[in-house]
Amino acid sequence: MARLANLETEYPVLDSTVRNFCASHGIFSVEDFLIHDLYMLAAFAEQNDSSERLKEGIAQVLSIIDDMHQPWLNGMELLEDAKRNKHVFPTGIQGIDLLLGDGIHVGQLTELVGPSSSGKTQVCLRTASNVARNHMVLYLDTGNSFSPQRIAYFLGKTISPSSAQAKNQFLQKVMSNISCHSVFDIFAMFDVLHQLESYLRCQDGRGGCQMRLLIVDSISSLISPVLGSSSTLGRALMTSAGYLLKKLAHQHNLAVLIINHTVGGEGGSSKPALGDSWKCIPHSRLFLSCDRGSNTYNVSILRHPSMASGKAARFVI
Amino acid sequence: MEIWRLPISASQRGKLISSGYTSLSSLSSISSSDLARELKVSESEAMNILKVASHSRGSETSNASCSIVEGAQSAWDMLHDEESLMHITTSSADLDNILGGGIHCKEVTEIGWSSLSLIVNSVLKYKLTTAFSSESIIFMLIGGVPGIGKTQLGIQIAVNVQIPNDFGGLGGKAIYIDTEGSFMVERAFQIAEACIEDMSEYNRFLRKDFQECKIKMLPQDILENIFYFRICSYTEQIALINYLDKFLSEHKDVKVIVVDSVTFHFRQDFDDMALRTRVLSGMALKLMNLAKRFSLAVVLLNQVTTKHTEASFQLALALGDSWSHTCTNRIVLYWNGNERYAYIDKSPSLRSASAAYSVTARGIRNSSSSCKRIKMM
Repeated sequence: MARLANLETEYPVLDSTVRNFCASHGIFSVEDFLIHDLYMLAAFAEQNDSSERLKEGIAQVLSIIDDMHQPWLNGMELLEDAKRNKHVFPTGIQGIDLLLGDGIHVGQLTELVGPSSSGKTQVCLRTASNVARNHMVLYLDTGNSFSPQRIAYFLGKTISPSSAQAKNQFLQKVMSNISCHSVFDIFAMFDVLHQLESYLRCQDGRGGCQMRLLIVDSISSLISPVLGSSSTLGRALMTSAGYLLKKLAHQHNLAVLIINHTVGGEGGSSKPALGDSWKCIPHSRLFLSCDRGSNTYNVSILRHPSMASGKAARFVI
Repeated sequence: MEIWRLPISASQRGKLISSGYTSLSSLSSISSSDLARELKVSESEAMNILKVASHSRGSETSNASCSIVEGAQSAWDMLHDEESLMHITTSSADLDNILGGGIHCKEVTEIGWSSLSLIVNSVLKYKLTTAFSSESIIFMLIGGVPGIGKTQLGIQIAVNVQIPNDFGGLGGKAIYIDTEGSFMVERAFQIAEACIEDMSEYNRFLRKDFQECKIKMLPQDILENIFYFRICSYTEQIALINYLDKFLSEHKDVKVIVVDSVTFHFRQDFDDMALRTRVLSGMALKLMNLAKRFSLAVVLLNQVTTKHTEASFQLALALGDSWSHTCTNRIVLYWNGNERYAYIDKSPSLRSASAAYSVTARGIRNSSSSCKRIKMM
């Protein structure tokens, strides 16, 4: 929200008299305006000498505020939007796709939680290789665990045997759709998401291959260094990261997949990291675990908007 | 409220918000002296804030059409980059095999110890893993009981990274960060001598028909290329990791960082567990950043602790679940009868497998037992 001083160039009504009056009530920016009691302000304006100018100024600020909020949508418009834009992407892993109905939803934040070495990165790589056939994918990597060889392996498994050159071309086409970026602290991640937002705003206008999947591996490594100290900055960064991801998912029709790890809970059981404040931010949460020494993994639903929680399945990678 | 996104201190943020600057665009048209006056801070601080804000804004406008975000690479390019990367051998052929050629740059590897009960008894048939054979480990965490050979492996890696390019090595230098004081210079000298002897033997074997080109390396040269840091407290450890950034920009030919052991100073005298988690995750991220930016391998050595779960005691790597999550790869060293084994516990691209190795007077070598097959898990 801009300071009133900066708005003067666009709206000459907000000149120094209006601003001095507002400053006398502790209002420096449009946001302060919102918090203030407007009836009181209008009453004070009446009593002032240049009440006409002040009333014009107040009305102007109110009209600026009206432009700022999101438009109202009714149920039919939401349904239209859901049918047209909010598709479901299969992950390519049979067990998980069966468990979730069809796969991960566009417009929603899906979280994979699990102890170390339980297959979370593998699921993300598999999903990325599946979605990259037709759409673009952005993979944000915090632990140097993105493996192009693995993606090539997954793609190689699904293609029918053909000439080496055709296979190479197919690999090139699909793998050029996946972009991988390393981020090592949370501020860098915010920068990247902001750049992504401007890219997506341009993308919505044109056609062609569009970005539909964002993977953050793993968001808990970015948040752990700032969470838990005496200041509340860590929790604020965590919740604003969550909201930013959900906003990107909904407005630009992305499916967002994030990875979290587990910490020890009461009685020796493991619970997801990042605490209770994070618990309600992702739309769906899946708990992964691995049977020691074999290739089978277990996945169970902790939270999902349309499937019952507690359902479990096994899958093999 | 976009001010949250700026990496500035909490007091500066508070002052900005109370003066009404809550978005980046509001900082665009103000000069640093005006800002200093309004916030009641020094002019240099105000200039700093404006610089950070304009950097964040600048990244918004420079929206290159080729890449979605600055610095992102497509997976296809990364695939070709990786194929041309080189490995650091561990001098044991079996161990190198399961690691896909050796220890690699750009990742962090942890090596640890595990009890036998965690290893499944069923042994799968040995299969050639052509799908994974071109990959390698980069960021490693190695853990084990004392006596299993962690420090030996660390010294061997610090020596092997210096093998010249002609012999298939990286020809780079090593940084050895010692927290326990277990680095023995005499042992390093012994291993360096053995490495040079092996190289001249290989040389003689291969270039039989050419003139014998002497290896010009001496053990002293190898020792000279190992940068050794001795750390006595956890604050020194954090300070050193922060300093490594500058050190590595001056010494560009460093190719491996070995930390022995990364957990030692964090296990005693640490009352605040939350602080420990924060410090460790921050340290891991910084090491990852160094590994990626300077294309080096990072090998961390870890200790074991006993975990009490369900009325049974199990040995697990120290520092808990959060730390296990942060490292890219994990190798566990364990005893199986009389033999030492290494087992890949966590890796994004390599299959779980274990291999035997032994510690000899010449360093880490293949195990000399009759059962030399690599056990696939």
